[in-house]
Parts: sequence; C-alpha cells; structure tokens
Amino acid sequence: MANESGNKVKALFTEIKTHWKTPAEGKYVPYKEYKDIFIAVGSNYTGSKVLEYIVFAASCYLMMYHYKLPYLTFSVINIINMPLNYIWTLIGWLVADNLGMLVKKTERKLYGLYFALIAVGLLMIFGNASALFDPANRFVAYMNSLEGINFASAIKILGTHLLWNGWAGARGIFWRKKLIPKYGRYKYMLYSDCIPKCVMVVLIGWLPFYKIPDVVTRVWVANLMFAVYNLYGFDNRLEICTRNISPNVRERILVRSYPIKFSHIFYSILAIILPVIIGALRYEWADINVFRYVIPVTFLIAAGLTMVFAGRVRERIPQPPLEKKVQINFWDGMFGVMRNKYKWIRTIVELLDALGNGMLPFATILYLYTFRLSGLLYSLIVALVSFAGTPPDLLAPYFLKRFTYKQLQIFYQLSRALGNTIIVLSLLFLGDKLVLCGTICVITLFFLEMCKTVPVTASYDMEVRINDYQMYLSGERLENFSGVFGWFTGPIVSFVGLIIPLMLLKYGFNSNWDVLFIDASRIKIIVIPIIIDIIGYVLMTIPYLFWDYDDDKQSKVMQVLQRREEVTGGTLGLASDADQIDSDREQEAVPQ
Amino acid sequence: MKKDNTEKIPVTEPEKLSIPENEIWTYQIEGLQEPHIETGREHSLGKKLGVVLILLVAIGLSIYFSVRAVHKETYEYKALENGTYELVKYSNPGEETKLTVDCVDGDPAKPITVLHEYFLNCDEKLTEVTLGKSITQIDGKSFYSCWALQNIHVDPENPAYCDIDGVLFTKDLKTVVCYPIDHDAYLRKVHGYAEEPEWWGEDYTEQYIADVMTFRLPAETETIGMLAFNYAALADVTMPEGVKTIETMAFFRCSALRSITTFKGEVEYASLPEGLETIGSDAFSYDQALDYLYLPASVKSIGHHAFWDAVYKDNGEIKGVAAINTALTEEQFKSQVETGDQWKPEYDFMLFKKAVPINYSAERTGANAAS
Repeated sequence: MANESGNKVKALFTEIKTHWKTPAEGKYVPYKEYKDIFIAVGSNYTGSKVLEYIVFAASCYLMMYHYKLPYLTFSVINIINMPLNYIWTLIGWLVADNLGMLVKKTERKLYGLYFALIAVGLLMIFGNASALFDPANRFVAYMNSLEGINFASAIKILGTHLLWNGWAGARGIFWRKKLIPKYGRYKYMLYSDCIPKCVMVVLIGWLPFYKIPDVVTRVWVANLMFAVYNLYGFDNRLEICTRNISPNVRERILVRSYPIKFSHIFYSILAIILPVIIGALRYEWADINVFRYVIPVTFLIAAGLTMVFAGRVRERIPQPPLEKKVQINFWDGMFGVMRNKYKWIRTIVELLDALGNGMLPFATILYLYTFRLSGLLYSLIVALVSFAGTPPDLLAPYFLKRFTYKQLQIFYQLSRALGNTIIVLSLLFLGDKLVLCGTICVITLFFLEMCKTVPVTASYDMEVRINDYQMYLSGERLENFSGVFGWFTGPIVSFVGLIIPLMLLKYGFNSNWDVLFIDASRIKIIVIPIIIDIIGYVLMTIPYLFWDYDDDKQSKVMQVLQRREEVTGGTLGLASDADQIDSDREQEAVPQ
Repeated sequence: MKKDNTEKIPVTEPEKLSIPENEIWTYQIEGLQEPHIETGREHSLGKKLGVVLILLVAIGLSIYFSVRAVHKETYEYKALENGTYELVKYSNPGEETKLTVDCVDGDPAKPITVLHEYFLNCDEKLTEVTLGKSITQIDGKSFYSCWALQNIHVDPENPAYCDIDGVLFTKDLKTVVCYPIDHDAYLRKVHGYAEEPEWWGEDYTEQYIADVMTFRLPAETETIGMLAFNYAALADVTMPEGVKTIETMAFFRCSALRSITTFKGEVEYASLPEGLETIGSDAFSYDQALDYLYLPASVKSIGHHAFWDAVYKDNGEIKGVAAINTALTEEQFKSQVETGDQWKPEYDFMLFKKAVPINYSAERTGANAAS
C-alpha cells in the first residue's frame, strides 16, 4: 500500500518535471505556469479582497465609523444615477466587446461625448447650478426631503456621475486599444489601473472629508471621492483570466481546483493577521489608522507582487485572430445574447437573488455586535468559517464529475435556504443566550461555507461554458453585451433593493450602527432580511430545472470553436508574447 | 510504470464531429440552437422598437416606484383604537430645527398620544422638540441618535411627562427618559461659553465641567431609562440612592463620564447607589473615562456586556474600570446576581481579551466614600 502511494508520488513528480515547461498532450498549461498562477492570482486575490474593506456602502467600516452616512442615501444615489447608466453601459458594451477597436469615426464621436461629459460633470460639481432653480419648486422641495441629500447636492452627485462616466469611457477606449493586443482581454486593466489605484487607496484614509460636519456635504464629497477611487479597478482579473486558460474544460477545473485554490492561502493567512493587527489599535475597526496604514500597506505589497507575475498568466480562448475578429454592432450584440437560453436562466436566478439586496452583512453583525469579537479570536473564527470551503474545493473535480451542474446548483440554493432557516430560528428562540445562539450560527455558517464552494466553482465554469456557447452561437463571446439582461432586470433589482433598507429604517437602522447593540432591534434587523433571502433561495431552484447544457454539448461546442479557429488560422487567445501580434498592423486591419 | 496524471479524471469520450470548412459558422450541434452569426443582418424595426419599449416601461416603472418608496411624508401617523394617534415617523423636510408634537395637522380633535420607537431616527438638524399635553407614551428609543437635539420641552399640562431644563422625565420624576445628546451645546450658551473646548485641552477646565458636563438627578428618580444618557457629554453624574434600575444602554458611549456619585440627603458617596437592583445590558459600554466601580449588595441582575469596553490598555497600563468592587462575597454574588454574557469589562491580553477581576467583600473607596 505504502509502496503504491510512493509510486504515485514519484509518478506525479516525474510528470511535473517532464511537463514543467511543455504541457502534456491534450493539455495547454505547463506546470511552470501553475507556479506563476499560484503567486500571481494569490497576490491579485489578496489585493482585491483587501479592497473589500473600502467600498462606498454602509457596510464599510470607514463609512460605518467615520463618514456615518444615512443608510438609505446609498439607494437614493443609485436611483439618481440609474437612468443615465443605461446610455453609458450601452456605449460601454460596444467598446468592450469590440475590444476597443472601433471604427475611426465612431471612436472620434465617442471621445467627443466623453470629454463633453467630463466638462459638464466638473461644472455641475464645482458650480452652483442649484441657484438657477426656484427653492419653492415641488421637485426641489422633494429632493430636499431625501435622506442625506438636497437639491444642490443631488446636482453634484449627478455631476459626479457624468464626470465618472466620461473619464471612464475615454480611458476604456484608450487603454483597450493600447493594452489588449499586448496583454489580452482579461488582465490589461491591471496595467492601466494599478498605480492610480494604489494612490487612491493611500489617499482615501488620509483625506479628512469624514470630518465635514454637514451630512449633506459629507455625502456628495464621499460620493465624489469614491467615484475617483472606483475609476481604477483591481478586481481579481488574473483569476478571471485563468478561467479561460485552456480550451480543455478538465484542465480549467484542475487549474481552478489546485493552483488557484491554493493561491487563496495568501489571503487566508492575511485574514488571520489583519484582525490581530487591527485589534491592537486603540479603537480597533473604528480606528482611522486601519485606513491610513494597515490597508494601504497590505494592498501595496499585494499590488506589487501581482504586477510582477501578471505577465506570466495567459488566456487561451480558441478564436480567430484579432484582425479577423467579427465586428459587433449594437443590435447584433443585443439580439445575439438574447438568443442564449442559458443566459436567461442565469439572469432569472440573479433577479431572484436580488431579493436579499440591501441586507446587512449578517456574519459581521454576529461577530462584532453579538459576540463582540476582536483580535485573534475574531481572526480564528473568521478563518475557521472560511477554511470550511477548502476541503470540498480540493475535491471539486470529483464532485463536478459525480454530479451535474444542475444538481449542484439546486443543492446549493436549498442548503442556503436550510442554513438560513436554522439561523433565523436560533436568533428568534435562543437570541437571549448569546453564546449558544452564536455557536449555532457559526456552525451553520461553517456548513454553509462547505456547501458553497463546489457549486461556486461549478458556477464559474458555467459562466465560461455559457460564453463558449455564445461564441458558438454568435461568433463572439459577447460577454459585455450580456449586460442587456441587466438592462431589464436592473430597474427591478433597483426597486427590490429598496425593500430591505426601508424596512431596516423602520427598525431603527440608519447611519448609526450602534443600534445593533439593542437586542430587540438587532434581531429584527437581521431576521427579516434573512427570511426574504430564504424565499429567494427556494425560488432560485426553479430556473435551474431547465438547465440542460451538459459535458457532451460543451465538448461539441469546443470542437466547433476549434474547427473555426483552424479554418481561419487563429490562435489560442491573445498570446502574451508581445511580438506575436503586431499591434500597429492589427489596428490598421480592423474591419471598418 | 509511469502513469499519466490526467488518467485520474476519466473523461467520457466525446463524439468526434466532422465539420466541413464551409459550415464552420452554421454547423448545428444536436440539442442546441443553430449558430446565428448576426453580423450584417438587418433586424426588423418592430423588433428593435419592442426592446426599446419594454426597456422604457421597465425603467419608468422602476423610477416611479423607487421615487415613491424613498419619498417620505414629513409626518407619518398611525390611528389608535382610542381615537388618538401615534407619531410613527418625522422626516425633516430640510433644515427644520424645531419640532412641536401635539396633534395631527394642528387639529386638537386628533391628539398624538404615542411616540413610536425611532420616530426621529438619526435626525441631525432638530435642536428643540416640544411635546404637547396629550403625549402619554414615549418609547425609550424615540429620540435615538438625534445628534443635534439640545432640549426636549414638555407642555406643563402634560399628565405623564415633564422636563427639567430640557431633560425629559416622567411626570413623577421617577424615571429619566432622555438627556438630549447635544444638551451640552445648550448649557454652553447658558453659561456663556462660545464653543466646545478642545478635549483635554487647556480650556477644558473644572469650571467648564461643573457648568456643562455635570448632571444631578432629582431625588425622586428610581429608574434611568433605556438610552437615557447615551452619547451624552457628561463627566460627572450624581444620582439619588433611590435608583433601583439602570436600563439598557442608559450610559452607552458616555466617553467623558469619569465619575458616578450617589447622594442621600446631604451625604454623597462614590459609584452606584445602595438599593440598585438592575443594570441593563450595555448600560455603561465604552465609558472608558470611568475609573471606579462599586456594585452595592442590593444588585440582583446585570445585563450582558453591561460594562463592555469600559477598560483599555495604554502603554501596558490598564485604564478605566480596571476592577469591579462589590460589597457581596463571592458566594453571595454567585447565588444572588444573575449576570449576562461578558458583563465584565475586558481588555486586550496576549492577543485575546481578559476580563477585569472582581474584588469581593470590598468597601467603597475614594474621597466621597459613604459616610
């Protein structure tokens, strides 16, 4: 037995050594790249997770303890921005799905529009447009009655929206054209955004805007500051890139299950260390030094490592070369994605998931307000819960082979419904016994995390498969045009997302999180949104009953894509080697 | 024998497709839709208009309902069975600083008798609230988080409540209901201080504390209500020996509260009053300026986290409530006092938290010890 295990280990080492630089037959990724993925994705993931501590949302500790913005204000800002968002996203898809390679005339028009938006946005922010309106006007009076906002500040918020979209739009065209030919469609953003993001992460803790006494001014200034901060992304782009690392679906899952999963250990370690460091600060999470030192330093290290290793991770989508790329116009893209049945299924699921929008982070409330955890104990419990997902994730290839995606997704939603029901019952009936109730909740969270990882891995692969299928259907992946579903669901999500904040307002939750120390209020604030969430989970099982895209169909789709690639003389995605594509020639050759 | 690692994952051998070169864009896989490369296709105007129309309706409806949902009437009332009204919510229409709560729409036939919990939730503008004679029921959470509130005045004819210089009490003075969070701003005006002095700065004198940051409860007081003094800028509080109950979060985040003194007639002594029976949850949470605590022998119940974070470590030194003193013996304490979870103050210790010790059978100490 031991001898057999020894032989297996030996064979594994031989395999790795043999295919360190050259992948095995039928595979595309050499083992050396596994090592690079481990470091690159680990750093990128860590950086992006650290940034979750800085968001323009009530759940952010900077907002919670320093800015203290009214809870409903975030929803009101969303409503102000919503109508115009449709126009920007529409243009955005055109740019993104054409990878920034636009017809010259269109490009000039778009640049003109974007620079005009910037100018108007700046005028609205720094001018006094409200002076032009009659204060007795009903609309002005209505705006003045909103939470944390008045008419003058609403104009500034709208100006911020225009400025942001103008600047982001212009950058989108410029950097895509410059960087996609060199770095590929998934990770180019890291190269354009990393440095400004680092600057903003440092500034956000040091800019003393939270000291502005007037809440209305504080709201629009914070909105502007976060708009600038959000201009630059540091999403886990490299992990997204690895979802397209190979046309071999099994290899994708192997990469997902091993180097990617192991790479998350960087953050797991950090997730233990960070709260210990923060717990040692005078005011713990409420200490401004969290945002001045702890988060910026951590992020800068992660960002530096990411950029060093980013170039070594490649995407390998079977597709025609860029110069033969299909040009997508708006209506083609729009109707193209609407023909994809599986996108509809996912859209309905997301719509139902929106029932829980606006909910406060239950686990955070449990740890900070019920248990009053901090320091190492907090770290250990958080780490314990998040570790729960590791063993099943390592076994993901087995589960994905043993069960269909449909079964896994239905199981996932039902497990969430059951787990949350247990939490609700324990809060309602054992709420006064803090330790017992908390222990039940933590154990439930542990099992929920265990049940989550495999379906989530399946979910990532489902998205890739849906895009593969889209490429088979339309000749392009149309990943951004998929946003058309958001067009229809967005307004509904936006309205549904108000339900919970309005309820919480009734139960006393607004800009002051201390209300969560009042037992009766805390239980209502937690329980009611969870019940709404449970209803959503149960309903989410229904669309998955119609999922019939299996391994056999996926395999055939990949054969079609590979055949198209062979015939058109394409490559596996955009190679990392800069010399593989002569970007000048390629720009000239874009179909007009 | 060398074994390929890939063999561990058996893959069902897929059917090999034979796709002619001229069908690469149209080849249909069984069970899936036919490829439909849209490029260059003309889409019908009707189809396009349909999409735009659905979209406009979705956006329009969403904005309409969202705007209605976030719009709040200035006053929200609930009619009660006895023909009176409950004020459920007041939404400040802008910059209002004064509010009078008396009756619905100024109609004396529709008196407001009840103030709902959180009815002023987090209002940052109101400085003065005047309660009419009809108000007979106020929730402890009604004035929660009203940062600018300086005074609550009550109509002298009100049978249930009264105010003493802007601090809300029940009519019989047995319960203190609310000491407005920004009451110190009012006291500064009264005593001629132009602005709030720097915390622990040179201007922060004992005279300032005596004028602005000191409060003496009336001798009749028996209950300190829920959230009664939360966030109050008080340094010294004196309470009568008759106080039996300190409710939930009564002194929550009174970060300047340095001393509690009890009086009985002319006699004063340090810390909590003899006769005190109940201390609610989070009653003294985050009161880190408090440095002496004595629990009288009468205590029967202490809520969870009653003294949470009332102690801290500064350069290795434990400050705040570094120990709990009680008249009871350990046995008496365990048998007599019902305690909630983590009721003792805890400070950072070796990466974890450590509760402060309890000194049983202790005697009151300090300059003001009971005579």
